[in-house]
Amino acid sequence: MSEKNNSMMERLDEFLLDVQKPSRYIGGEPGSVVKDKSEVDIRFAFCFPDTYEIGMSHLGMKILYGLKNAVPNYWCERVFMPLPDMEEQMRQRNIPLYALESLDPIKDFDFIGFTLQYEMSFTNILEMLDLAGVPVLAKDRTGLTPIVMAGGPCACNPEPLADFFDFFAIGEGEEMNLEFMRVMEECKREGATRQEFLRRAAQIEGIYVPSLYDIAYNEDGTVKSITPKDGAPAKVRKRIIKDFDKAYTPDNFVVPLTGIVHDRAVVEVLRGCIRGCRFCQAGFIYRPYREKQIDTILDQTRCLCDNTGYDEVSLSSLSTGDYKDIEGLLTQLTDFTTAEKINLSLPSLRVDRFSDEVLKKITDVRKSGLTFAPEGGTQRIRDVINKNVTEQNVMDSVKIAFEGGYTNIKLYFMMGLPTETLEDIKGVYDLAKAVIEQFYATPGHAKGRPGVSVSLSTFIPKPFTPFEFEPQLDEDSVRERQRYLKTINTDRKITISYPSYELSLIEAVLARGDRRVGKAIYTAWKKGCKLDGWDEYFRFDLWKEAFADCGLDMAFYANRRRSYDEIPPWDHIDMLVSREFLIEENKRAHAGVTTPNCREKCSGCGVSKCVGGDVCRAIR
Amino acid sequence: MCAVPSVNTRAFFSKTGRAKYISHLDLSSTVIRAMKRTKLPIWQTEGFNPRTYVTFMLPLSLGQEGEHEAMDFRLTEDVPFDEVKERLNAALPPDIRVTEVTVPKDKNTDITAARWRIDFTCDPDKLRRLCEKEQINVEKRTKKGVSTVDLKPLMTDVEIAGNQLMLTLPAGNSFNINPALLFEAYTAEYGEQVKRLRIVRTNIYSGEREFE
Repeated sequence: MSEKNNSMMERLDEFLLDVQKPSRYIGGEPGSVVKDKSEVDIRFAFCFPDTYEIGMSHLGMKILYGLKNAVPNYWCERVFMPLPDMEEQMRQRNIPLYALESLDPIKDFDFIGFTLQYEMSFTNILEMLDLAGVPVLAKDRTGLTPIVMAGGPCACNPEPLADFFDFFAIGEGEEMNLEFMRVMEECKREGATRQEFLRRAAQIEGIYVPSLYDIAYNEDGTVKSITPKDGAPAKVRKRIIKDFDKAYTPDNFVVPLTGIVHDRAVVEVLRGCIRGCRFCQAGFIYRPYREKQIDTILDQTRCLCDNTGYDEVSLSSLSTGDYKDIEGLLTQLTDFTTAEKINLSLPSLRVDRFSDEVLKKITDVRKSGLTFAPEGGTQRIRDVINKNVTEQNVMDSVKIAFEGGYTNIKLYFMMGLPTETLEDIKGVYDLAKAVIEQFYATPGHAKGRPGVSVSLSTFIPKPFTPFEFEPQLDEDSVRERQRYLKTINTDRKITISYPSYELSLIEAVLARGDRRVGKAIYTAWKKGCKLDGWDEYFRFDLWKEAFADCGLDMAFYANRRRSYDEIPPWDHIDMLVSREFLIEENKRAHAGVTTPNCREKCSGCGVSKCVGGDVCRAIR
Repeated sequence: MCAVPSVNTRAFFSKTGRAKYISHLDLSSTVIRAMKRTKLPIWQTEGFNPRTYVTFMLPLSLGQEGEHEAMDFRLTEDVPFDEVKERLNAALPPDIRVTEVTVPKDKNTDITAARWRIDFTCDPDKLRRLCEKEQINVEKRTKKGVSTVDLKPLMTDVEIAGNQLMLTLPAGNSFNINPALLFEAYTAEYGEQVKRLRIVRTNIYSGEREFE
């Protein structure tokens, strides 16, 4: 019943030993789904536009993989970005990009679907399509299949990628994916055209077909109008799963044969975030906040550990510490994990909910490094960004950590936040210094030298946040603030690192780009840009050339303040959070006024109205 | 050390096809996860981070296949060996198959030699001439450095038929010879690269008899 493509395996056998870590290119992992081709009607190539190690760690892919494969006549397979050594061999030998389950070329599939997790993977998409032998521009593709589509958080501003995709799926995919696959089933049966499929798909809520929209521009380069045609909706509204507790969850994972970044069972405990930190796109586009019941989480954890054989499980969410009954959850969960000798790891705990009891439960299981993200150095700037964390919160948390035997703390900050001054930068140093002092002031701290690693990234304004109107800090000011922090840091126990400014500039341009930016992406890729998220492959010089060649000004997209009445390139995408709310929040930021979280008080973001009040009422 | 009574158990298995790309280190985590999925009562180490305790006999180089590999573990309860085999096979990747589960007779230090089958693409006559030489000196790289080894006295029961070579070479934790070395000697002798070898370890020996 195995439908392995034997001739492809033989071709791969000829050279796989010459590439690094060949086991990531052959599939065959426990938990991977192999079907009989003769019983399959729709084939879907789920492409993660980054390496196997990264893509295989991604929960969303596991959910949609399981969901589609649960339908008997649908077959979803996995595809990842090959590293240059593998790609070179494939190109030399004319081996097109293939899917890991069947080893069949993906150009023969019905759907080629990409997940857009971060902007710096965009060139990988073009590289993968090209390696697959599929025209990278949507307009050059003919015939009903393959349809090239994308979903994921970056699809909330799909415009920079509009030239490359036939359609985008906006919002949560659990229902939508099966809906558009059913439309394809119909279209194949009827022998419909690609245009007809897209016209019908555009009628599904959450589906955005860029070719059905005309964009006009003002003389100053801003968007003048966005006009739908062929019955496409004026606003494409994101999809959400209303009953999140009952949403499809995979009972098994593909368990890799080689190490990946997050090699463990992952259970999603909640979706959305109550916080409303003004810089955080995820905090707005994943609204409303929904939790799973403790019993559901326990069942899913047990089931996944049983089926995968993993001895480590991690809870996934934007902010696990906000789970209403976190103490109850962790008590019941640790009962299970302790008995089964399974390690429990809890990423993304916010400092202010980091109570003694919670910490003890984690440290009972395993000690790992501690990371806190105060994001801003002073209370003033933290109020501006609505990160409701005080210095006292941070100190309380690190004190518990030091009492628990930790010596090293990582602190994450952003530079270039709206209204930021050198005073706020100095605050970063002061906070790091205070953490060091707290170490010595904590009775029973561990022997040895404390250390604080400060990471200071450049703030990137993102669509659908109150900071979507803000300019990104220009290069000279970034360098000046970096130098300033370097000169005032005289403590060798504090190490400060700055993630690449150039990378954050490109990310800023792509995040808020319009449809014309697609030309620059295409040009950059043609010049050889790929794997941009990897320091060793990122070529800022080529990106700069690409924008210049296309006559596009990066500063127009990254460093310009956008007025409240400007039409943003993503105006036709409705993420349920209202524009009025984002403007109001932007004003409050500049006034230094915080906004209570969804549990304390509804801030009227607009989501509640769209989903019916009960979802939001359940938060409190 | 072991708090509960346990049964020393040895499983023989094959690692072929796609599984040849699984490195020795990855093999161990792949098998341990499969064991967890079986829910078999396999002994775990005590202590802060308990882990399933499995010993693999001889590592295979990446890309080499094995038809009769061995691993040892302990069962903390009596489970019929046939059932152990069945449950392991249900959980393992398709290209790793358990062929036999048994009580170990030999210690892993008793392993002295391994039998190999190699499909090659180079000239069989040239290979035959090489094997008939008085001395076949090759450089063997170990953790301690590079030393020169004469393969000739170490190769026994050499058979060449068509494009297939069978031979027995020393194996074990203290002294192990990788058959790929013979093809390095071939390259050194004739100045020709040998590509696309299919190297399969078919058996392991303890002295004159099969390792049990």
